[in-house]
Amino acid sequence: MKYMFFVITAAFMLLLALPVQGTGPVKIGFINSITGKEAQIGENLTNGAAMAVDDLKSKGIQIVMVQEDDGGDPKNALAAYEKLVTRDRVIGVVGPYTSASANVVASRADQYQVPLLVPAAAKEEITMKGYKNVFRLNAPADVYSKVLLNTIAPYRPKTIAYVYAATDFGVSTVKTAQLNAAAMGLKEVASEKYQQGQPDYRATLAKIKAIQPDLVFLVSYDADAILLMRQAKEIGLTPNAFLGAGAGYTTAQFASQQDISSLVISATQWTDDVNWPGAADFAVRYKARFGKQPTYHAACTYEAVRIMALSALNSKSPQALCATLKAGSWNGIMGPVRFINYSGYTNQNNHPMLVQQLQSGKYETVYPSQFSRKKLVYPYNR
Amino acid sequence: MLFFQSLISGILIGGVYALAAMGMSLVFGVMNISNFAHGELMMLGMYMAYYLFTLLNIDPFLSLLIIMPLTFVFGYVIEKTMIDRVMDHPSENQILLTVGFGLIMSNSALLAFTSDPKILTTSYSSSSIALPGGISVSIPMLLSFLVTCILTAALYLFLAKSRTGMALRATSQNREAAQLMGINVSRMSAIAFGTGTLLAASAGAMIAQTYYIDPFAGHIFLLKSFTICVLGGLGSVIGAGIGGIIIGLAEAMSSAYLSSDWKDVLVFILFLAILLLRPQGLFGKKGEQ
Repeated sequence: MKYMFFVITAAFMLLLALPVQGTGPVKIGFINSITGKEAQIGENLTNGAAMAVDDLKSKGIQIVMVQEDDGGDPKNALAAYEKLVTRDRVIGVVGPYTSASANVVASRADQYQVPLLVPAAAKEEITMKGYKNVFRLNAPADVYSKVLLNTIAPYRPKTIAYVYAATDFGVSTVKTAQLNAAAMGLKEVASEKYQQGQPDYRATLAKIKAIQPDLVFLVSYDADAILLMRQAKEIGLTPNAFLGAGAGYTTAQFASQQDISSLVISATQWTDDVNWPGAADFAVRYKARFGKQPTYHAACTYEAVRIMALSALNSKSPQALCATLKAGSWNGIMGPVRFINYSGYTNQNNHPMLVQQLQSGKYETVYPSQFSRKKLVYPYNR
Repeated sequence: MLFFQSLISGILIGGVYALAAMGMSLVFGVMNISNFAHGELMMLGMYMAYYLFTLLNIDPFLSLLIIMPLTFVFGYVIEKTMIDRVMDHPSENQILLTVGFGLIMSNSALLAFTSDPKILTTSYSSSSIALPGGISVSIPMLLSFLVTCILTAALYLFLAKSRTGMALRATSQNREAAQLMGINVSRMSAIAFGTGTLLAASAGAMIAQTYYIDPFAGHIFLLKSFTICVLGGLGSVIGAGIGGIIIGLAEAMSSAYLSSDWKDVLVFILFLAILLLRPQGLFGKKGEQ
């Protein structure tokens, strides 16, 4: 009798459990740099993801987002991905933030067959190895230099110097910039790689100043950008244009330093003045909630989490989710999104990057023409 | 032009490195412990300068008058309540204590101020003096260097002329003998740690004007301070001063004539060369290596 009671109870509990697994909240993973060197940018990704989850909940879509911190370290990112797919049993993962981490995690996604949606890491390689389970929302690194140089091409500059952070993203961006610049007929006069976080770049900048290039192409993260521009002003480095690739040139903090940031041209994945559905509203709500302007990282992550959750809703398994991501198309704050194969990329969204220039302390979109409201100011003149 | 520009930049940044390293060297000399929380003490000075400027509009150089006594007391109390307890324990315990204290400080700062880097912008932050030949001298760096010179001279006079300074030197030379001579070595340790904290925080307050401030901003200076201390001779305050200038110059010259990517390589080659030729450091005494 006791045995029968046990069997019936167990069967009843199993019956109760089965529908929960099928219709319960969608469980997705999110890997981000919450601590470590990239924590400042990581915070923007966290905020974007939180807004996406709340927006989905307000529409009645319940999702559970399991968040993991990689501290900007690829080893931790891989451990986080493995934990999410094996222990937490998430259906898909958004992240990680840095190129180095995303590249390592991407290499394992096909092994575990759990889709990885990279929101903001730019290294080309991530979606160039034919991984079936890796998708990327943002434009890869080669587009940064392409749009920046396209913007400046009509003014026929002749020489270019590179100053860039010794990171995966920095090296990758400059490598493609060198190819694009050579194709444009630009002569490279200097290429200076620097270690992040150093207090003094004056000697490097003095070397660039002595060569007097038409363009100075910079790749820097957060506060390094301010340091470099401040020291460039100190030593009197005044090329025809400063071209900034990387997060450092697209932050509100950089814009607030008007005496050094004025007229700097930068490439970005997103601005709030483009006519993508909900972009302006996202910026207003983000500022109201977090007290600061959203960066493109926040917007990319918001959209990535939204796409992952919406796709996961009707997918019973990671394999089905992979097929949904591959076949789907979306149109939100990042504009039209489709994961396609082109120019050697696999599952890459062909995202149109924007070029903006700081004019009177405000980022103004100056390229491409369909999104621009202001004309580029060239040459640079302090 | 490039040579003189790099020379000036190297000397000016080297001055700030020197100030940071002098604090560490003093602590090592008197207490014979390596302070792994030194970078966080610099970070403390950075945040103090930032908030005194943004909230009370006190110029960062003037704010040193507030920062120095406060951080001296902070260091003194930390020594009495924490460091003093492990003075007679193995060096591993001392290292773990200072590492742990540093972690508590940086993570508390992370909670209090978030990871957003703060930029201290004064009216002269990006100003420079133009010299003939296209050479420019950063005004905040020049002022920092002058203040460093004043603080170094004051420290020298304090150590050479005052009774407390002499007692500190005696403790540094032979702790047991100093105790036998009636010097309160425990108090000397607290004064040394307080002074080391004061110097680290002052260096932080000055570098804050040309660097960015975040909870982990002191880490890079911790490594540089260690390098400078060993290069100049552990425990030698003068050695730390000269070592700072050497490192600043080596960084600037390698950035100018090799590549900025190579500057750490050159610095450590120089460091190894000095250690091989003179293991006790430039100004260290034989047998102290």
